Amino acid sequence: MLQAEEVSKRFGGLVALSAVSLDLRPGEVHGLIGPNGSGKTTLLNMISGFYPVDQGTVSLDGVALNTESVAQRAQRGIARTFQKPRLLGPLSVLDNAMLGGWRDVGSSFLATALSMPRAWREERELRERATQMLKGVGMAHALDRPANLLEHAEQRFLEIARGLVGRPRFLLLDEPAGGLTPTEIDHLATVIRVLREAGIGILLVEHHTDFVFRISDRVTALDLGRLVRHGTPDEVRNDAEVIRVYLGA
Amino acid sequence: MLTVIVYGLAIGSVYAATALVYNVMYSTSKVLSVSTGHVPMLGGIFGAFFIGQLNLPIVVGLVLAVAVAALFNYLTDVVAVRRVLARSDEHLWLLSTLAVATMISQTMALWWGTEPKPFPRLFPQDFSQGIADQKYWLPVAAAVICAVGLELFYRRTMYGKLFVATSEDAFAARARGINTDRVRSFSYVLAGALGGIAGFAAGQLTFAYFALGFSLTLNGFIAIAVGGLGSNLGAVIGGLALGMMSSFATYFFGGEYQQTVAIGILMLVLILKPEGLFGSKQVRPV
Amino acid sequence: MTERSRVTRIAMLLIGAVLLVVLPFLVRDQYQLHLAQLIGVYWILIAGLNLVVGYSGQLSVGHVGLLAVGAYAFAIIAGKYDIPPLLALAACGMIGGLCGFLLGLPSLRLPGFYFAMATLAFAVIVTEQSVAQTELTGGGVGLPVPGFNAPFDTPAGLYWLILAVAALITWLSWNVARLMWGRALIGVRDSEVAARSVGISIYRAKLIVFIFSGVTAGLAGGLFSSLQSYITPDTFVFELGLFFFTCIIIGGRGSIIGPFIGTIILTAIPEVVAPLARLGNFFYGFLLLVVVLLTPEGFGRLIQQVLARFSGKVNESKVVAPDPDLLRKALQGARN
Repeated sequence: MLQAEEVSKRFGGLVALSAVSLDLRPGEVHGLIGPNGSGKTTLLNMISGFYPVDQGTVSLDGVALNTESVAQRAQRGIARTFQKPRLLGPLSVLDNAMLGGWRDVGSSFLATALSMPRAWREERELRERATQMLKGVGMAHALDRPANLLEHAEQRFLEIARGLVGRPRFLLLDEPAGGLTPTEIDHLATVIRVLREAGIGILLVEHHTDFVFRISDRVTALDLGRLVRHGTPDEVRNDAEVIRVYLGA
Repeated sequence: MLTVIVYGLAIGSVYAATALVYNVMYSTSKVLSVSTGHVPMLGGIFGAFFIGQLNLPIVVGLVLAVAVAALFNYLTDVVAVRRVLARSDEHLWLLSTLAVATMISQTMALWWGTEPKPFPRLFPQDFSQGIADQKYWLPVAAAVICAVGLELFYRRTMYGKLFVATSEDAFAARARGINTDRVRSFSYVLAGALGGIAGFAAGQLTFAYFALGFSLTLNGFIAIAVGGLGSNLGAVIGGLALGMMSSFATYFFGGEYQQTVAIGILMLVLILKPEGLFGSKQVRPV
Repeated sequence: MTERSRVTRIAMLLIGAVLLVVLPFLVRDQYQLHLAQLIGVYWILIAGLNLVVGYSGQLSVGHVGLLAVGAYAFAIIAGKYDIPPLLALAACGMIGGLCGFLLGLPSLRLPGFYFAMATLAFAVIVTEQSVAQTELTGGGVGLPVPGFNAPFDTPAGLYWLILAVAALITWLSWNVARLMWGRALIGVRDSEVAARSVGISIYRAKLIVFIFSGVTAGLAGGLFSSLQSYITPDTFVFELGLFFFTCIIIGGRGSIIGPFIGTIILTAIPEVVAPLARLGNFFYGFLLLVVVLLTPEGFGRLIQQVLARFSGKVNESKVVAPDPDLLRKALQGARN
């Protein structure tokens, strides 16, 4: 279980998060919603390690991660996507996706330089895995295309595929539906359901509340850095406070 | 011993002025140009050229030399910075300013020559004045004028306030209708002029020498890194500290240790306080 | 890649290799052979530096300092202390690697411009100290440098030694480039955020590559000094460091063949086109500017794009269409 307990974060005088708790279990979709400035992305950044925690603990299976870097957490099987896709432009879609399997690359620089069999084995295996993931999420048509020529939706799905190549236990999605057409959001939902079936724990930070309620097992709602409501989609959707926050005072 | 201190102040002033040039350019463009040190170099060489070789009156030579330096920096903006800033690859401006620095350096080497040439006397003074020699006090005066002038510009003039606004938040500035391109170009011209004045004033100390370009780029950088990028006070203190340390190093260990000591100081500061003495820590958001 | 183009590629590589081996018999005079030797030596350094600059994106402009360290190390170890030259050369590589480690350790944590200045500072220190430590380096006067023993004691022999080392270094860097490490380095260069998010330790990667570039610079330095047969501090001017750097940028980042061609062109052109010899460094700076403004990915990439235009139909579909069954299977097969 991936957990954030009573985490708080300030930026100068601004309190971004105040004693928020959230946990993510394998094989579930946990939606995280809130208006702009509610702290959703901040929380995701803190769980993945991009922001240090001011107070509170981020832990995996009871082991505190507070002092671990982004890379170290990724090595533990915590993958993520970004609000604004971070891709390697000149490289192909396949190359970009293969990079997601880095944590399964055991070959050292020297072993790689010497063309050791293990390095080639890892290369072949990751290429195969990446190809399957890309085809699975819907990017079969663009495997060799340079990433800087991709449409927005393609970029998003590439990032998801990349996150999967490393066989993650948890996948943190940062507003993956942003800029997608309704059809594409349906595709996204299909993909997320398959991931859930496969036992991956998914944190879905999203603005599209309908989409979140549709697909999540549990939902957490934030406002101005505080936890407003946590529960099943129905509980959260019908909560008076949540409605007030979303429809304005 | 007194000479050591005075020399340190003088050369430190040149470093300080170069650091100010870095600051002014950085404030509006967030670019650290490799060609920064070449601006004072041009001030020195063209001062020597106009006054020493063309025998123009000193004031005319000063104005022309400063104009050349300012023009060079303006062209740096147009050619190396403007186009490149539009692209998101942050390495590119380092490459383009490096290219410009190389080209101007080599052009000077080819035209002016690779040997340092003497810079003419600006005030009547014989050469036996020791520490009162103008070659020490001109750079100090120039640095003071530049620093004070810059502060007054930022605080008292409308345009100066525009600079400050643009440097703190370019996006917001543009949203307010400020033409950030124009502000940046002007800031490069201003920085060029400052560097030109400093280089001109330091000519008798450093000689008119093409190799001064990269040397000042490095030393001016050390000054700004030690003092703290973005802080003019840091630039001055960093520059003077660097000048003094270099001078003392030369005195105690010999001239061959000058740069080594300077760089040693830099590494020490960067390891202990990476943002410099007066710099501010920056949080990098994702 | 199609079978035909693969065969063509291998054929071209073989032809190129054969030409390189028989080169001493093809050139007309000593001068041309010397030029080939020089290109070879420069390429040894640049092949390593390429991984630093072209792949991991660390803009080291002061690698000439590492070249100097290797050169002086060879002159001292093989010359003053009379150690067998090949052994001395190996030592140069190790010393270069050590210096790369010492330089990289504090510098690689610094942001781009600061790092570039740190490498420049290193080059300046090396120059200063090579003048100052007269006992060791002969000061401003410099040091004579011994040649290698048979069979490398003739110009052709030395050429083949250089070729062998260059081939080895090229092979090593090519392997890194085309396997996962190559992608990881490009991640470090183009998106540290993405790289960290997949588990790449940025600093460690940069440092390891930098050490490798130190080894190649050390080896290049040893061979270079033997080639020159006499070295002084003036041999290692800062402009040489810019030259190495420019070869890589012009040839194209993220490629092995690009910087190789860049090295050949930039070394050979001033020799071949006489007026350009005088303009020398100005020309490099000008080319660098042109590349940065027009084709930042280098000429190599430009050629690649032009060729791609002629290589037939490209799949233009942009529709994302998931295959849930395939995805399910893929995840099953891959589960921890």
